Amino acid sequence: MKFTLFGVNIMLPSDVLAAWVFTLLLGAVVVFLVLKKKRLGLIWEYMVTTNHRKIGILYILFGIIYFFRAGLDALFIRTQLAFPNNDFWVFQGEKYNEVFTTHGTMMIFFVAMPLLLGLMNTVVPLQIGARDLAFPFLNAVGFWLFFFGSIFFNISFFLNMTPEIGWTGYAPLSTEQFTPGAGSDFYIFGLQISGLGTIFTALNLIVTIVRHRAPGMKMTRMPLFAWTSLITSFLILIAFTVLAIALYLLMFDRLFGAGFFSGTEGNPIYWQHLFWIFGHPEVYILALPAFGIFSDVISTFSRKRVFGYPIMVLSVALIGFLGFMVWAHHMFTVGLGPMANTFFAITTMLIAVPTGIKVFNWLFTMRLGVIRFTTPMLFSLGFIPSFVMGGVTGVMLSVSAADFQFHDTHFVVAHFHYVIIASTILGIFAGLYYWYPKITGYVLDEKLGRWHFWTFLIGFHLTFFPMHITGLEGMPRRVYTYDDSGGLAELNFMSTIGAFLMGVSMLFAIWNVYKTYKEGRKVGNDPWDGRTLEWSVASPAPEHTFDPMPVVEGIDSFWFAKSAGKKMPVTDQVRATPLEVQSILPFLIGSTLFFLSLGLTFSWYWLSILSAFILFTLLVVRSLKDEREDHYGRRK
Amino acid sequence: MKRLLVMPFLLLLTGCNIKVLDSRSDTANDQAFLIIYSFSLMLIVVLVVSILFIRFVFKYRYTEERKDNIPPDVKGNKWLETAWVIGPLLLLAILAVPTIMMTYDQSPVLSTESEQEGTSVQVTAEQFNWTFEHANGKTEQNRLVIPEGGTILLHLKSEDVIHSFWVPRLGGKVDVMPDRELVYEIKNPQIGTYEGKCAEYCGLGHTNMKFEAEVVSADEYASYLNEK
Repeated sequence: MKFTLFGVNIMLPSDVLAAWVFTLLLGAVVVFLVLKKKRLGLIWEYMVTTNHRKIGILYILFGIIYFFRAGLDALFIRTQLAFPNNDFWVFQGEKYNEVFTTHGTMMIFFVAMPLLLGLMNTVVPLQIGARDLAFPFLNAVGFWLFFFGSIFFNISFFLNMTPEIGWTGYAPLSTEQFTPGAGSDFYIFGLQISGLGTIFTALNLIVTIVRHRAPGMKMTRMPLFAWTSLITSFLILIAFTVLAIALYLLMFDRLFGAGFFSGTEGNPIYWQHLFWIFGHPEVYILALPAFGIFSDVISTFSRKRVFGYPIMVLSVALIGFLGFMVWAHHMFTVGLGPMANTFFAITTMLIAVPTGIKVFNWLFTMRLGVIRFTTPMLFSLGFIPSFVMGGVTGVMLSVSAADFQFHDTHFVVAHFHYVIIASTILGIFAGLYYWYPKITGYVLDEKLGRWHFWTFLIGFHLTFFPMHITGLEGMPRRVYTYDDSGGLAELNFMSTIGAFLMGVSMLFAIWNVYKTYKEGRKVGNDPWDGRTLEWSVASPAPEHTFDPMPVVEGIDSFWFAKSAGKKMPVTDQVRATPLEVQSILPFLIGSTLFFLSLGLTFSWYWLSILSAFILFTLLVVRSLKDEREDHYGRRK
Repeated sequence: MKRLLVMPFLLLLTGCNIKVLDSRSDTANDQAFLIIYSFSLMLIVVLVVSILFIRFVFKYRYTEERKDNIPPDVKGNKWLETAWVIGPLLLLAILAVPTIMMTYDQSPVLSTESEQEGTSVQVTAEQFNWTFEHANGKTEQNRLVIPEGGTILLHLKSEDVIHSFWVPRLGGKVDVMPDRELVYEIKNPQIGTYEGKCAEYCGLGHTNMKFEAEVVSADEYASYLNEK
């Protein structure tokens, strides 16, 4: 619809208008509730916090909000594809291209990443006996960069300038010649800002895990979630740096007429190489922490230590290493030649070996155990067969000559949803149900948890299993319609039903959180009969933990002390603890990058220069102050 | 294991003529073989895991009698762990042999490196059309006519962004790049009319960037080339 505001003619499609109305109404409700319950102080508290648990909560909160937003995109996609030659609302052509772009980009960068980083932030320090992350201030900066990056990406929709280049942003389609609008710039800067934050958090986690473990907590005694977080952080450090370079070059192509990815000097292949050198490790960045969560959950609820701990750690490291040697399996059809295609086919197959080791070790962790079917365990049990199904289609895809058929069809869509949802999403759900008591002090309702699990799992298989077949029936990715042939109609309709079932399952999750908030049962330190250190501190984890500091004597030290009826030995010989500060600077630093990018996107260079100047000033202000001096004295 | 129950139902529903598997050329036939071959090998993996999974979950589930049971503290088992390193490696070796053979046979190569002989067709993709130019200069849009039997050499080049050439029944995809010309072979196609499409997202009209691939007899091809 068209209307005039302040003398400017504005054209808004109905979906954007609906988003405005919905967001304004929801915003009004939230503001009303905040004011009525007098919670402005609480919001301020979270804006200035550098505490790892609170920052973790912020990551998780926004991850879940974006999960609903990107999930809604998925429902639009599935509704448009419900019938052959369907015309649902506005989602044909351009709008469809926008909606699959935002669905993919948001699910990867603004849902899976923050939820995992949130869990790592909250849990890793508690698991290894650290009182906070090594650099609390940097941790807050990392979060606010993620926050402003995600907001920057999201406002594009409200301005009706959504990117439409797919989450992979392939050049030359993403260069200025073919997508001259601001959409692709929102993609570039949104990912660039939040990616920077992710790199900071990865650095922080590495230093924390290497430097701030409790006495006796050798690397070889760490819980597997801490291990996978460490290895994931190294992957982030390398992969996100490559992404930052790729986005930087694309930014120069778009804004300043450089020709890295097009023209006579440049080459569109360079983008694909850079993107997938980031993109494939990213898959493991999403999967490995989930593997860690499953290892801890399966071990706890089987009442047994993890089977083959050394080989479990080794296989994670191997997956991480091999993860950097397989990127061109996304490019089998590009024409790199038979030699490259063979090399990348073989390396890809090899990844199946360490992954297989993990699956069998999980199975044998359960063997001889006492398996309790709590909600976190249900999600972990659902993961094993579902993930194996995604894994074997991965091996099928690695067969490069067969991939000429699979490539860019719904078969691939089925494959990556199988692996990512089975590992990352089920892992996040398992982790959230498992550590919810440690984060909030309440345990989520088991009955609603089971409803959530079963509806989600059935919906998930119903959605993605038929896509294997529609792909082989010749349905390419990223098309908004299809003809009724070869059973495409029935299979697609089945997928749509499954997608809505997954949508319904999320309502159970929300109902569960609300019910727990209203009438939840307060729990003690150790509601699950846990094995690792986080269950030795109070629920919710207080700001000052591990006082006195426990001494770790082996794997699952807490559990063995508990079952022997003893307390863990303690010590007062501890390393200097990272200090929490209250500061609004991280928030401001994030916001300056937001305005800097806004200026570059719309060529308002005065705004960029001003923001850069303020950013520089903020960094100077920060570097003049070292809060540790007041506490530990000046470094000699 | 409801998903295992669903599988045969879905296969029945779609019948056995899934396009990619119901191949109409030697090229697509080899690919269909690889798909079935890798699928069968992988089915072994799925079965082994499912059997162990169901058995362990059922046998070691929590029951009232086992409420206070403290399981033995098993750290690992080096023989078992070696077994599931060697087993998958063997399985992958069996899979790798035909993979490497066919990858060498079928991977698209640069035009300058191609040494094959056959009927050449120049394929030009642009947003959102296909143009097919035959050896004698005959040009047609969105309809590819090729002779049955023998080898078809498609020389592919894009005018703008990256596209991908795909006729599911005749063979896999090959990307159509703006910066280089690739050659893709289709061996021994059979007579028939097949649908072709762009498989790489290329912008607004991607969904409708389709064409028709018609395989005709050699005589008909000759007369097609000569008709105006």
